[in-house]
Amino acid sequence: MAMSDAPAEPPDRCEIAVVGGGIAGLSTALFLARAGRDVVLLDKGSPWGDSSGANAGTLSLQVKRTEMFEMGSTSIGLWAAFGTEMGIDVGFHQPGGLRVAESDEQIAFLREYGAEQEAVGFEFEWLEGNQLHDLAPWLGPEVRAATFCAADGYASPLIAGPSLIAGARKAGVRVISNAEVTGARTAKGGYRLSIGRRSLECEYLAIAAGGHSTKIAASLGVRLPLWVDCNMLTVTEPAPRIMDKVVTHIGGIMSLKQHVNGTVLIGGGWQGRGKFSRQTREIDPLAWVQNVGLGARIAPDLKTLRVNRAWAGYEAVTIDALPLLGRLPGLENAYVAAGARGGFHMGPGQGLVLSQLILEGETGLDISRFDPARFPQ
Amino acid sequence: MNQADLAIVGAGPTGLSAALVAARAGLKVWVFDDNALPGGQYFRQLPKQFRKTRKTVYDKEHGRASELFTAIHHPNVTYLPNATVWENPDPGILAFAAGERSGRIEAKAILIACGASDRPVPFPGWTLPGVVTAGGLQNLVKGARVVPGERAVVAGNGPLLLVVAANLIRAGATVAAVAEAAPATARLWRNLPRLLQAPEIVKLAVNYRGLMAKAGVPYRCGETVIEARGTDELEEVVLAPIDTRGRLDRTKARTVACDTLVAGFGLNPSIEMYRLLGCDMSYNSYRGGWMPKRSDDLETSIPGIFAAGDGAGIGGVEFALIEGKLAGTVIARNLGALDERTAAIQAAPLRSRLERFRKFRVGLERVYAPPSTWTELATDDTIVCRCEDVSLGEIRAREAQGFTSAFAIKGSTRMSMGRCQGRNCLPTLAAHIAARDGIAVEQVAVPRGRPPARLVTIGDLLQEDLPAPVFPTDPHLPRGEEVI
Repeated sequence: MAMSDAPAEPPDRCEIAVVGGGIAGLSTALFLARAGRDVVLLDKGSPWGDSSGANAGTLSLQVKRTEMFEMGSTSIGLWAAFGTEMGIDVGFHQPGGLRVAESDEQIAFLREYGAEQEAVGFEFEWLEGNQLHDLAPWLGPEVRAATFCAADGYASPLIAGPSLIAGARKAGVRVISNAEVTGARTAKGGYRLSIGRRSLECEYLAIAAGGHSTKIAASLGVRLPLWVDCNMLTVTEPAPRIMDKVVTHIGGIMSLKQHVNGTVLIGGGWQGRGKFSRQTREIDPLAWVQNVGLGARIAPDLKTLRVNRAWAGYEAVTIDALPLLGRLPGLENAYVAAGARGGFHMGPGQGLVLSQLILEGETGLDISRFDPARFPQ
Repeated sequence: MNQADLAIVGAGPTGLSAALVAARAGLKVWVFDDNALPGGQYFRQLPKQFRKTRKTVYDKEHGRASELFTAIHHPNVTYLPNATVWENPDPGILAFAAGERSGRIEAKAILIACGASDRPVPFPGWTLPGVVTAGGLQNLVKGARVVPGERAVVAGNGPLLLVVAANLIRAGATVAAVAEAAPATARLWRNLPRLLQAPEIVKLAVNYRGLMAKAGVPYRCGETVIEARGTDELEEVVLAPIDTRGRLDRTKARTVACDTLVAGFGLNPSIEMYRLLGCDMSYNSYRGGWMPKRSDDLETSIPGIFAAGDGAGIGGVEFALIEGKLAGTVIARNLGALDERTAAIQAAPLRSRLERFRKFRVGLERVYAPPSTWTELATDDTIVCRCEDVSLGEIRAREAQGFTSAFAIKGSTRMSMGRCQGRNCLPTLAAHIAARDGIAVEQVAVPRGRPPARLVTIGDLLQEDLPAPVFPTDPHLPRGEEVI
């Protein structure tokens, strides 16, 4: 969903330039501005106009890789804090989440996965049979077991986008739309960014541009290997309550939630027809019905609802599904946050890390596994 | 997969007349319609459960339609009522939801004949119970023989107001006033030669006016509704004169007591199918805004996809019937069911009649051309998106924060995200932005339609026999292409 687009030209210079107006970039910019720093946020189109505005909004710790547990928990805390501490309504709700399994094989995998997660301090409840269906009577009979995580929830991309943009502006961030960074090079005391025919000089550079980060980093001689998925999403018409938890699937192929307004969102990373290189993103009408069908098997009341809208959005991911987060190899004062699986969920945590790296030169979170230098340059 | 020579979306005057011609020529035709009974809006039928105690004028119209209705029983026609065509998954293929019969069809040609819907124009009080659109009133009268109140005001723009007034009078309602925004009567004589190209339609209008005169119903041109008032439901409407330059004179406003306001501001073609198919579009404000570009053979920019009737540009039922026949003929010829000569002979009178109607339509458009800015009646309190309850004031507040494009307004207010899928509010939003920025409506970029073309029940989708999905081995890993 494209967002704010007040016409404004980028300035000639600033202290910190953040590239990318999605959740990671906006969080970075917001935290830096709240710390009193001079921040310009550049978006190639409209902020929130790409992945952050087109994803399911799921905040689920249990679907993430164990390496992401700390980042995931920190991010959920920040998602909550946007509203409670910063006055930025992001449509955050924390009804808890069920990660469901249907077959024996899936149940075994769910147990195995749970054990790994417990080892890193993850708290959840094991549910099966009647116990599960008493807690969630709306689950279909084929759902046989689940782990319940009370921390799971969701934020509304629709509510969060405009709120975060307005909040960032209020904190002093200069948010510039239609400012595509076509190249970057080192300059005296920092970096010079090419924005069409204009240029912007900055002391610090933070790249949070999803799949577009690769090209920007390449102009600085840094390789950021990324792949881009094209995930389908579906939303129903508003309906009386048919479910009261966020649902994910051990197969990693489902997310389901019913919003406060009664609409149900069906996701799960089913691939649409799209090529990032061509900037196309359409639904795949066969996989789409399968996607919706799986949703209706998990929550059969879905069958009575009508689909209002379906779309596809990009998600940039690395080959090891861990983010590229930290300093750009070989460069000073240049950082990146991109490529996290579940990047919407992880955005605020990654923004916190980048802001801390810029403000203090270090972060309290363990980001050693996410070092962009781990891939050959 | 189902196979057809011709798939027609819509069983109104256009779709049925095309189906009949094509089926008689030997084509295998499928007709999809989202109503329970054929006829579309114009030939809308009473539900089967209703019993008629006496014949009415609508039955006379349906007499004309009875031949059309035979189309659904033609052995070459497969007719699917209560069916929603929701996507064009691949070239030449339509996906449809129709209960247990849901599925996909591959067709050599596709005719989009989806008709039109009321052009929404928000004004203060337009959401009060008792305020209905012209199309809505017609549906109540034709589809249920119901008139929503006893004392009605009819206001807006265009010839449909005359039809509505006549129907209300026939149904026994009192019509307190008919307010036509355009100075139609004053322009009538100048355009009479063009109008008389279609004497059969002019005659209808004369009948309507005669009926109104007999019932003592005043028809005032150059006047528009500016407000509907009432506590829980409509009690009165405020009408104000409007000059030829579109300036309202609120000082000369008058109040008329009524329990029903029929507001008809013209029709918009239903364009969601074209958007899904990717047809090139053009804009014509006189014919309802956006519509597909078409060749003389009614073919869109995509070979094999045809568009006819009001859904391809508002023209009315006579237009629709002829265009349907022409589309059926042309498609039968293209698919080899009619030889060139026979097709040309069949098409010739249709084309000349269309030519005549086109001249008539130009005359009609000139008579009823409304002033350009007369629809800016909403105030901050006025709801402009009824599905999501978004007021004009909320839009203005977002604009002040920098959310100015249609995309940003949609994203920040939920406008156009409700059940109407934007049909009832995006035209309003486009007009608002055009007026704000001083540009033409067609220059305003609005969010494109997303599949499904219409709301579709998930249970219906699952009736389709589909292969079992393949799950990824590790869902964390990328599935898309590498960024180069």
